[in-house]
Amino acid sequence: MEKRFMKGCEAIAEAAVRGGCRFFAGYPITPQNEIPEYLSWRLPEVGGSFVQGESEVASINMVYGAAATGTRSMTSSSGPGISLKAEGISYLASAQLPAVIVNISRGGPGLGSIQPAQSDYLQATKALGHGGFRTMVFAPATLQEAVDLTYNAWDYAERDRNPVLILMDGCLGAIMEEVELPPMKELDYTVTEDWDLSKRNGREDSHMITPILPEMALEMLNKFKGMTYNMWGMMDVKVEEYLLEDAEYVVVAYGIAARVAKEAINTLREEGYKVGMIRPITLYPFPKASLDNLDYGKVKGIIDIEMTIPAQMRDDIELQVKGRCPVHEYGRSGGMLLDDEGVYNAISEIVKGGE
Amino acid sequence: MKKSFVFSGSGGQGIMSAGMMLAHAAIDTEKHATFLPEYGPEQRGGSAKCTVIVSDGEIVSPLTKKCDNFVAMNEQAYNKFKDDVKEGGVMVLNSSRVTSAVERTDVKVISVPVDDIALEVGNIKVANIVIIGALIGATEIVSKDVFVASLEAKFREKKPEILAMNLKALEKGIEFGKQAK
Amino acid sequence: MPAYKRPSSLMPMTTGYCPGCLHALATRLVADVIDELDQKNNAINVVSVGCSALNLYSWAGDVIGSAHGRAPAVATGVKRSMPDRLVFTYQGDGDLAAIGLAEIMSAANRGENFTVIFANNQTYGMTGGQMAPTTLIGQKSTTTRFGRDAATTGYPMQMCELISVLKAPVFVARYALNSPKGVMDAKKGIKKAFELQLAGKGFTFIELLTNCPTNWGMSPLNTLEYMNTNTIPYFKPGIYKDEEAEG
Repeated sequence: MEKRFMKGCEAIAEAAVRGGCRFFAGYPITPQNEIPEYLSWRLPEVGGSFVQGESEVASINMVYGAAATGTRSMTSSSGPGISLKAEGISYLASAQLPAVIVNISRGGPGLGSIQPAQSDYLQATKALGHGGFRTMVFAPATLQEAVDLTYNAWDYAERDRNPVLILMDGCLGAIMEEVELPPMKELDYTVTEDWDLSKRNGREDSHMITPILPEMALEMLNKFKGMTYNMWGMMDVKVEEYLLEDAEYVVVAYGIAARVAKEAINTLREEGYKVGMIRPITLYPFPKASLDNLDYGKVKGIIDIEMTIPAQMRDDIELQVKGRCPVHEYGRSGGMLLDDEGVYNAISEIVKGGE
Repeated sequence: MKKSFVFSGSGGQGIMSAGMMLAHAAIDTEKHATFLPEYGPEQRGGSAKCTVIVSDGEIVSPLTKKCDNFVAMNEQAYNKFKDDVKEGGVMVLNSSRVTSAVERTDVKVISVPVDDIALEVGNIKVANIVIIGALIGATEIVSKDVFVASLEAKFREKKPEILAMNLKALEKGIEFGKQAK
Repeated sequence: MPAYKRPSSLMPMTTGYCPGCLHALATRLVADVIDELDQKNNAINVVSVGCSALNLYSWAGDVIGSAHGRAPAVATGVKRSMPDRLVFTYQGDGDLAAIGLAEIMSAANRGENFTVIFANNQTYGMTGGQMAPTTLIGQKSTTTRFGRDAATTGYPMQMCELISVLKAPVFVARYALNSPKGVMDAKKGIKKAFELQLAGKGFTFIELLTNCPTNWGMSPLNTLEYMNTNTIPYFKPGIYKDEEAEG
């Protein structure tokens, strides 16, 4: 394994190349510009293509075209640009095309702020476009995790023939940390060649890639997708459970917020308070069981910590808690960052107030 | 051991590269480090700030409200962040530009006429090296040798005078830092 | 003379186009040229939204349906990934000259090595005959009931003229499909565009003036005459740019 001190966006870009990405199209938007900048020179080195699209809309559709050829394809953006890509992401889901979309999120709504925020949870997990489809949503908390998830993202996308979203806030996009880079993946085209347009296997028959279907076929597709989403819930949930065994208070946080919260939990543990954490790594499928299976005889409260106001993950949490204990929330928003002191004070007030 | 550093000033003062050099030097000595830049929306001359955390162990949270060591390269940055230094922490101030009287008595203050020294050494561009020197002299967070090695690596391709100037700037900074210790 | 038969790129079925619609002829011309160039297994038809989307069902070769206006972006992704394939978009005027204006101009400007077949019938056919960016001044539509008025809607968009001022495109031409000569010329133009693409020369753009008997509210025969007196004087057929022309 190769160790490097890398910036988040560049680490994701390199992991994508090593994971087999050979096509990228994107449009400049802060704070993710280092991804297209990096790939603009890196992809040609490995025989791939980089296109700076005329818009986010064009870029996602370029990805749609490249994905139809069985080429591992990616686009990246930040909240406002992801909104523009929404149509195209829905078309990818409909045409059953694999692709990876990265959202390095910033303060919202609107043009919002260029500073980091976790304000796109609802967009990512509930409605990344029209028509009621879902994508897996990976939410790394460290750059190493971001590298590992990106590296393997196409394996899921191709297995399910569905786009995958990587959601990371601007802090993780900008931060530099040490990462271990995995080796270049050997690409297995047999996964895609029975449906893609490449004719790699020498076939003569033709294929139709279509985002529009006759009603009955569309209903079939939706039923199939429903089964796929259920399968994710059973097989693909990724979650970190931290010090839950004896926990009386459980923090739920993902990404950067989880790192800040963990530091506060460590301090509170030193002070003798029984606080633990559930950190969803897949926001969808959501780690329902981790929350549902808590010992509510012991747990006195759940604390949802997000870098957005109001908290967006709260509905998903409450659906599992089912009123068995109070759910609290704390956050910062608009590009104002969470910090150790603020998070410690927020948790501590709830924990110590409950004594 | 875990220490946090905030470098602040305006764009063009080498704030980001100072932070990055410190992080790299820490990694070179088998420590863990994170580097988090924060930019204003301006491309030139706006505010610049970065946070570096250096630790013997895994760095859990890269976001910290208060830092152990604070560098302010100008008055504006000083006023904005002076309260975000921990009690007992270190403030390294560019006294060529920070002119307010320091009110806090619970931190160690090292005033260094960074711009004057940099100009004396040869170029205002080495101001950030002077201030890193002061920080190394005062905190010994990384050894001088490690930092010299990383400077040598950084300027290997450039003219030898440039490296010499940077090393001189570092040396001057360290002297100031040590005096304040 | 070879026997007149169905091109192999078309399914053995009737198209969904209205009787008398020149879309069907335009599609057939493209398919004929693909047969003549022996490209049936190599061609990829990037279909857009509008009546042109009916091609999804009648096309026998590889075909991709794309979002409204985005066919040139999709084709960019396809062609960059598979440079050896013959890639073309088939787009109508609402798709290409309104919602997809950014995509067509940018793909043309980048000099993407694919061909755009642009069927211009001056109306939104599939949605029921609303004003298109190409609707003629005075021409009636469901959103210009008294005829298009330049004072509030501007003038019909002339795409060949716009694209031919860009540096990158290598062949830009317009043909009218309302006469046998126009049809023969159009076929030659399509063939030339595909040959240029296969030779790796760059972006080629073929505009085909078509009709819409249903939404124009005319018999097919009358649409052909209307084209002569109204459409052709404004959208002048001809070769607007030919970078590979001899001399």
